[in-house]
Amino acid sequence: MNFITYMSENMDQILSLLVEHIELTFLAVAVAILIGVPIGILISYVKKLGKPVLALANVMQAIPSMALLGFMIPFLGIGTKPAIVMVVLYSLLPIIKNTYIGIQNINADMLEAARGIGLTKWQILVKVQIPLALPVIMGGIRISAVSAVGLMTLAAFCGAGGLGYLVYAGIRSINNAQILAGAIPACILALFFDYILGIVENLVTPKYKKQGKVSFFKRRGFQVSVLILTILAFLCLIIYPVFQGEQAKKQITIGSMDFTEQEILSYMINDIIEDRTDITVNQRLSLGSSTIVLSALEQDDIDMYVDYTGTIYGSVLKHEPNSNVEEVYNISKKEMKEKYDVNVLGDLNFNNTYTLAVRRDTAEQYNLKTISDLSAVSSELVFSPTLTFMERNDCFLGLQQVYPIAFRDVMPIDGAPRYVALTNHESDVIDAYSTDGLLKKYDLVVLEDDKGFFLPYHAIPIVNNRVLEEFPEVVPILEELSIYLSDDVMRELNYKVDEEQQRPEDVARDFLIQNSLITEK
Amino acid sequence: MIVFKNVSKSFGNHKILDNINIEFADNTITCLIGESGCGKTTLLKTINRLIEPTTGSVFINGKDISKENVIDLRRSLGYAIQQTGLFPHMTIRENIEIILKLTKKKKEAIANRTLELMDMVGLNASEYLDRYPSELSGGQQQRVGIARAFATDPDIILMDEPFSALDPMTRSALQDELIRIQSRYKKSIIFVTHDMNEAIKIADKIAILNEGHVIQYDTPEKILKNPANDFVKNFVGPKKIWSSPEFIKVSDIMIEHPVTCNPEYSIFYCLNKMRIAKVDTLMVVDDKNVLLGILYADVFTNVSYEHKKAKDFIEKDFLVTHPEDSIVDLLDLIDREKITTMPVVDSKGHLKGLITRSTLLTYMSQQFIKGDE
Repeated sequence: MNFITYMSENMDQILSLLVEHIELTFLAVAVAILIGVPIGILISYVKKLGKPVLALANVMQAIPSMALLGFMIPFLGIGTKPAIVMVVLYSLLPIIKNTYIGIQNINADMLEAARGIGLTKWQILVKVQIPLALPVIMGGIRISAVSAVGLMTLAAFCGAGGLGYLVYAGIRSINNAQILAGAIPACILALFFDYILGIVENLVTPKYKKQGKVSFFKRRGFQVSVLILTILAFLCLIIYPVFQGEQAKKQITIGSMDFTEQEILSYMINDIIEDRTDITVNQRLSLGSSTIVLSALEQDDIDMYVDYTGTIYGSVLKHEPNSNVEEVYNISKKEMKEKYDVNVLGDLNFNNTYTLAVRRDTAEQYNLKTISDLSAVSSELVFSPTLTFMERNDCFLGLQQVYPIAFRDVMPIDGAPRYVALTNHESDVIDAYSTDGLLKKYDLVVLEDDKGFFLPYHAIPIVNNRVLEEFPEVVPILEELSIYLSDDVMRELNYKVDEEQQRPEDVARDFLIQNSLITEK
Repeated sequence: MIVFKNVSKSFGNHKILDNINIEFADNTITCLIGESGCGKTTLLKTINRLIEPTTGSVFINGKDISKENVIDLRRSLGYAIQQTGLFPHMTIRENIEIILKLTKKKKEAIANRTLELMDMVGLNASEYLDRYPSELSGGQQQRVGIARAFATDPDIILMDEPFSALDPMTRSALQDELIRIQSRYKKSIIFVTHDMNEAIKIADKIAILNEGHVIQYDTPEKILKNPANDFVKNFVGPKKIWSSPEFIKVSDIMIEHPVTCNPEYSIFYCLNKMRIAKVDTLMVVDDKNVLLGILYADVFTNVSYEHKKAKDFIEKDFLVTHPEDSIVDLLDLIDREKITTMPVVDSKGHLKGLITRSTLLTYMSQQFIKGDE
């Protein structure tokens, strides 16, 4: 029921993501065909190339898709490019392989007959080999297309959108309805692609292979009409945006990392800037970790985003942990300008630092209030931190040096599912962000950092030079916004999204309206 | 005219063709025959350059084909092979027209030509043109194959065992068809087969190949009657002639020196001659050996023949046969006319020999008695 309500309330968003998803998949598969089929033909002629090319395509298939995607972001930036390239690389193998096999399997005597009657190599390829191999090639394309639909959900990681956005947003906020809203259309889309390509396969299969009576749904006429309708619908989807009128020239693109608070902030900044100025703001939500979003800023894929002082200071600039708030901010601002040529604006007045949290029953059982309390009993507890937390010097590695902490077991889980593990008693301690709404949702006890180990994580907008030069009016707007924010406010807003399952855009808008930061329209 | 000059072909150390010198005459069907691996298909494929000779050259009408554009060469030659030669994804029409369409002919002319070809090979155009090869029987497919080979109206047509996958009935029908087409269109057809019966039936000349050599190159009749060596004899088979009785001529089986008499001889002398030679007829010839009539022994019963001469009893109403007539014609005649004895004369009436029922019987029984040779 929850799912149906969610679907009906978010129909617009789901549809636009679906369209995005279709466009991306179609483009990727089309490119894969344009590359794969010629390569398949090439290796069936130049036999020596066959093994290495197929091996390479196999290896490509074997690389974890996430890794491939992450690997390409530094080169291709974020957005549609890396997503399409990744899916293309994945789709190549079945297309190349089937093209190769299809052409190899043609009767050699018939090819000799074709030569014997005086067809040129090219004519043999076009008139005999490709038509005869086409059903097999289409089989490969079908496999590619179906898996491409699934793979394309990863596109959300690099800000290309698509249905994956809903899936990952859903996983993050433990919202099953949202996961399903992304997964079910993706599944239906995959089946639909398979069906349409099945029709194409059937149409390109010469009649000589078919036998017996054909059902209505397999008649040529019916299939051709379905195909034409699909193509028309498709063209509409692709052409429609072109008629959306000229794009405004004054544009800012905001990026965000992949957690709730970032999305709320992104919507806030979006709404407040659009309300106060004539600038059009585009959002690239859920791009991934801080590193990915920062590289997007460097590449000018986005113009601004909100990061945290501790992240910049510790993991970007690689400084040793430092709990002096002002020093951390100043050094970050100065060095980001020097090293990355980006501008750190004034902080947004809340500190989303790392903290450790335990269930209330654990806290009571061991009487835990501080991290020092925890380290004393840590050998009895299981810790399930995020992957990032495990790896960073300013997180677990450093923490172990400051506190004598040694857990019974460490079981890293990314994102919100670690809260589920905690409430299911599969683990006892998690790392958390101090403004995380889930802390409130699951009624967790936040342990005090009594030795002041964690860096301050004050939210800071970072913008490129273009924003400062062309849109300086943005800076005071953000300063005004910061007045209304605080740790408590952020936790409350996060809670509304994560627990009450309100949409981040609504939460952001309601907040701005309540504080009269924008006018209600 | 196709001429092979010192053509050899080797694959590695294995010689497929060993110094072939042969000429294929125009407007004839030449069969290349031999066991598998003898080089017959290789020989055929050097003509359309699907295989290039290692040494030597092939000339068509005096031109060295290795110097011609290979695509043009192939399009100027018809080519038909076993059933796999048709493209399964094309209709019969597309299969026949494929080369015509590449030659920039007018659409109408192509369509007309296709109808003509279908007519030539005896297929109903409206029924079959838009079907796919798999919808046709093997024999029909092969007819299409022939039509395609004839499509561009080439002077030379190469056929590589076109009928070998067909059942005997269909094969025989297609052989008849090919003979009929050839009698009308007079192409130079080079036809590879491993079936001696097929070669004897359709060929004007047969080239027998073995291990890359041409062992014998002659007309079917001469190969049947005078095999060049034991290989040919074995290959042709001892009784092969009997499957082509039209090649057995009257001159092959007749009694070459029949007992004769002069019309002026006395009856007494004639009867005595019959008794000594143990015959019951005498061929009556004049001094120049021109046959005048037949003297039968049985006319003398109950008749006084003293002082009478042969010419008084001569039977002048008789049938003759000629040395070049075949045994098939002869049997037919004997069967129809219920006669036992038949003189063989040449065109000028000279007596050449004699056929009797007993000579026929003796000769024909050879195929059963001497079969183990």
